[in-house]
Amino acid sequence: MSVVAHEAKESAWRSRELRLGPLALTLPAVLGLIVFFLAPLAAFVLYSFLTAGLFSVSGPLTLDAYRQAVSSGVNGTLAVNSFVVGICAASVTLAVSLPIAYWLRYAAGRWQTLVLFLITSTLFASYLVRIYAWRSILGENGLLNSGLERLGLIDEPLSFLLYNRFSVTVALVHIFLPYVVLVLYAGLQPLTPALLESAEDLGANAWKRWRRVILPLVAAPAATAFLFVFVLSAADYVTPQFLGGTNGAMLGVRVQAAMTGVGDWPLGAALSLLMLAAFVLCYGLTALGLRLLRLDRIRFVT
Amino acid sequence: MDARRRSPFTAAVTLVALVFLFLPLVLVVLFSFHKTGGLSFPFKGFSLRWYRDTFGSFEFREALKNSAVVAVCVSVATLVLGTLAAYGISRTTSRLRGPIGLLFFLPITLPGLFIGIAMLVAFRRVELQLSLVTVAIAHFVYVFPFFLLIAKATLDRLDPALEEAAADLGASPFRVFRKVTLPQIWPILVGATSLAFALSFDEFIITFFVIGSDSTLPMYIWSSLRRTIDPSINVISTMLMLITLLLWVLAFVFTLRAGRGRARAVEPILGGEEV
Repeated sequence: MSVVAHEAKESAWRSRELRLGPLALTLPAVLGLIVFFLAPLAAFVLYSFLTAGLFSVSGPLTLDAYRQAVSSGVNGTLAVNSFVVGICAASVTLAVSLPIAYWLRYAAGRWQTLVLFLITSTLFASYLVRIYAWRSILGENGLLNSGLERLGLIDEPLSFLLYNRFSVTVALVHIFLPYVVLVLYAGLQPLTPALLESAEDLGANAWKRWRRVILPLVAAPAATAFLFVFVLSAADYVTPQFLGGTNGAMLGVRVQAAMTGVGDWPLGAALSLLMLAAFVLCYGLTALGLRLLRLDRIRFVT
Repeated sequence: MDARRRSPFTAAVTLVALVFLFLPLVLVVLFSFHKTGGLSFPFKGFSLRWYRDTFGSFEFREALKNSAVVAVCVSVATLVLGTLAAYGISRTTSRLRGPIGLLFFLPITLPGLFIGIAMLVAFRRVELQLSLVTVAIAHFVYVFPFFLLIAKATLDRLDPALEEAAADLGASPFRVFRKVTLPQIWPILVGATSLAFALSFDEFIITFFVIGSDSTLPMYIWSSLRRTIDPSINVISTMLMLITLLLWVLAFVFTLRAGRGRARAVEPILGGEEV
């Protein structure tokens, strides 16, 4: 009798609390995100098909905003800039992060915790402060030029440092480097030093260990990190605004201007949705590439 | 247990990267103590005058207060809703688990620019006055997925036998959570809440679109960036970094405490299982 009662109680507990109960706990957050995230996104998509007034929209549904966005030559140039800066920032960040992640995982020894802490602590240096710092360093009267002049290495300021794609890329690498190091470091976790040693004992030289053991393992996290940096860089509107000048202007600045300056909401919405479509395409191509190269499900049995 | 490998090349890259990461930040802090207003070498000596100027400024104190109020509201809301949601999604067997998990993760995948303008359009549509309230709502959407990922990863790793045993012994679900689950996860929750606070405190990209006429610390820096160089921007930047750094140290200490080994220190940031 008591056993039966106990079982009945247990199954009641399971059906009520473990199935329905837990899901009910997510309800406040789900409602919050539907109202404040999904609904705005839906409104936003709708707006891209409407006609612009000043900070307002009106019907009927039309593709005018998209036509306007695509036909403008300026937008084409800005899109190219966004693409180039995004690719450069992502490539440099990844190329620098790989050796760092390797060092942290296999060579750091007792320095590991300290260096990990230092790198992650720079994550929390404000985004705007970094932009400001780089503008102060790279400017014509900036710290780099005044320092070099002081040392007698240059006679007049180097003007190619600031207000172009280079300065934007430097600041973006500075912003995203810590994230990418962490992602790659996490990606290297399953590959223990012992496994690396086995490869060595079996005759793999340093290049072969990189090529055959480490790179296949980090391919998926590295591709994710690359996309992360690419997307966030290409969609940035603050860094190019302050560091880009005319040569380094990007599409994000145009979107921001359309939304808050000019008040042409459908154009801003159409431009951002086109960017989003391009990003989704990049995600898809990367996933497909990893799949075709059979790099998407490498796991080490430990 | 791990043999340390020799790798001079990667060690050199790490060293250079550390200098690259820290030098700009150190220079900002250094020049916040500069005697003159100039932001160029040579360095002419130390003074606290920009700190006095900054703290005397009403605009600065107002911005600091606004940032703090928003960050407190956002982190409390995130802690409560995030813990509930993480527990729910981690313990449910419902088929809705997948879609809801996706919804919770989605805001991270979108660049802030898109979230910001979508919210601007939506708030204007329903004629909600742009203010600190709309900023807090936007920050919640932005911060929530980070908190959820961390909390969920922690909950998923707990041994389910402990909770089942408590339930079998007759503890109510609430009591199971309070007596069995919470004691195992609270340091991670504190760490994740500090992270939420820091993210909100420093947020600019979304804030810019939904703030209206109020100011926060990042907005204040942004407006000084647009004006000619005002030396007090060094001071404000230093303060902003100091506050977020303190929060990060807090998060780090609490998660180290919760973790078993040193490698776990970065786990809450990544939220992954395989860290």
